[in-house]
Parts: sequence; structure tokens; C-alpha cells
Amino acid sequence: MISSIMLVDDENLFHLVFEDACSLLDISLSLKTMNSADDTEKLFKKWFNDNDATHKPECVFVDLNIIGSSFDGIELIRKINFEYGNNVVIGIISSSNEPAEQAKALQAGAQFWIIKSDDIEPRLEEFRKDYDGYKKRTAPFKIYN
Amino acid sequence: MIVFDNKLKKELITLLDEKNIALEGNLVKMIDADGDDDFQTYLTTCIEKDRETRKKRLEITKQVQNQNKELTLLNDENVKIMEELQLTLRDMEDSKNHIELQNRELIAWKQDNERMGLELRDEMIKSENARVEAENAKKAAESDLDLLQKKTQTELIGKIVMIALYVIVGVGVSTTLMYVFSMITNKDTQMIGSTWSNMFGILLTNAFSIIGTIMGVKYASEKKDE
Repeated sequence: MISSIMLVDDENLFHLVFEDACSLLDISLSLKTMNSADDTEKLFKKWFNDNDATHKPECVFVDLNIIGSSFDGIELIRKINFEYGNNVVIGIISSSNEPAEQAKALQAGAQFWIIKSDDIEPRLEEFRKDYDGYKKRTAPFKIYN
Repeated sequence: MIVFDNKLKKELITLLDEKNIALEGNLVKMIDADGDDDFQTYLTTCIEKDRETRKKRLEITKQVQNQNKELTLLNDENVKIMEELQLTLRDMEDSKNHIELQNRELIAWKQDNERMGLELRDEMIKSENARVEAENAKKAAESDLDLLQKKTQTELIGKIVMIALYVIVGVGVSTTLMYVFSMITNKDTQMIGSTWSNMFGILLTNAFSIIGTIMGVKYASEKKDE
């Protein structure tokens, strides 16, 4: 089980779906949800500056297009990976399945790409099975669709 | 993991049995039964209830999410239709402006035509006036020429008449003088007398003939003028 998860998504309804799915699949008991990439960046910046790892999530799911933010999910992943110390399993969760975007996400340091749809549970289940590989940085970039 | 004391465990089990109130959420998964079978059963029941609740909520949330997506799609379609309508409206506006421009050009063209028509009419009037003036000038010239001709004719006739009269009077006078001289000098007057008589008759006849001719010419000229 993942100790703590952060979901960055502008859609509040998906927060509920994700929370219930994670609980039902026993993926994680601790979920923090964020609506904005800017606020998430601020949190990671603070944790990085304070050298605080206690509140830092173990895994971060980022939406590709976060409405109301000044940058997209790929840029957030790049910032977390290259500016704020990395050390988290991080990837995209989006309804988009664009290969060009997926390539950009991979370059930014994303480890996975989960396609958001009505039937999210099987993908999360599969992700859970692969999670150890992501944590150990041995699993390759994977698209769950 | 969290461990509850026995009193709290019993209170929680009683609450579930009597009032069907159970612990909910992920917190339940963090509680350890600590070897208490009854409390383990309680925790399993709580977890099952929580799962059922979450499943229901997940389904409802998904339904709402789908409805939202459909509404978003409908909204997108509406926006698209609105954009198309605005484009059509803009096209219509452009066409209207174009037609108005054409109308303005037509009105200007019509005004030009009217102005040109007026100018043409003025020119025609001027031309007609010039023609009338030319006609009048021609008539005046013709009249002058006619007058000149008449005057010349009259003068000629006058001269002819004068010459004829002079000739007649001259012949009459000379014949009369010869006849008088013959009578005074007691010469034979038979021949001269008959000659004078014949001559006088011929001269009178010719004189009247000339007068008649002159009157005839004058009458004919007047008729022609009319």
C-alpha cells in the first residue's frame, strides 16, 4: 500500500472518484487533493526549502491540463523532478492520449500515464501491481489505457 | 496501528448493534483488533459497510461526472453553433454593407445620369435655340436676298419701263413732229399720217402690253412671297 498520495486535478468530482477508488482498491489510505498546479508547486517548494519530508507524498498523480493554473501538469512534474528534489513517484492522470504529450511527460520525468475514464479502477489496480518498480525506479514509463 | 481499550471496543460494538452506527473511512483500516475476535468482526463489518458506501458514492459520482461531460459537450456544441451563427451574422452584415455600398454607388450613378440628362437637355435646348437662330438667320438672309432680288427686279423693270416709255414717247413725239412738220410745210401727209396712226396704235398697244406685263410680274411675285 502506498503511504500517501497527492492528486493534482482541477475537477473536484474526480477527487471523489479517485479517493473512493483508492480506498476500495486499498491503494492508499492517505490522499491529499489539490486543485491548482501553482499551489502544488508552492507546497513542494516549501517542503524542499524546509527540508521537510514528513508531509511530502509518496506518489503524485497530476492532471495534464489544470484549468486555472499558470502552467500545465507536465511543467509541474518537471519542476518537482528538477527543482524541488524529486524523490516522489510521479506521473500523469489525464483523459488525453496524445503521444506527443506523453513524450514530453517522459522527458519531464513522468513515470506513468494513466488514461482517465469511467472505468478507472482496473488501471489503478494494474498501477498498484507495478508500483514497486516505480518506487525503485526500475519500471519503465508505462501508459495505462 | 491504533489499539482501543476494551471499554471503548464494547461501546462501539453496542452502538453498531443497537443503532447501526459504525466507524467509517480509511481510519477503520488503521485500527488493530489486538486479538479481540468480536472487535475484529466489528471492524470487518465497518470496513464492509464503508466499502458499500464508497461503491455507491463512486457510482453516483461517475454518473454525475458523465452528466457533466455531456453537459460540457452540449455547451461546446452550443458555443460552436453560436460561433457559426455569429459568423453567418457577420457574413450577412458584410453582404448588407456591400449591398448598401452598391446602392450608394447606384444612387450616385443615377444622380450623375440625372445631372447628365439635365445637361443634355440644356444642350439640346441650346442646340434647338441655335438651330432656330440659324433658321431665323437663314430666313433673314433669304428675305434680304429676296428683297435685293425684288429691288433689282423692280429697278430693272423700272428701267425697262422707262426705256420703253422713252422709246414709245420718243417714237410718238418724233412721228408726231414729222406729221406736224408735213402738215405745216403742206407736204403729202397721207403716208406719214397713216404711219403716225399705225405707229401710235402700235405704241399704245405696246405700252399697255408692257404695263400689263409689269402688273402680271408684280402679281406673280406677290403670290410667290405668300
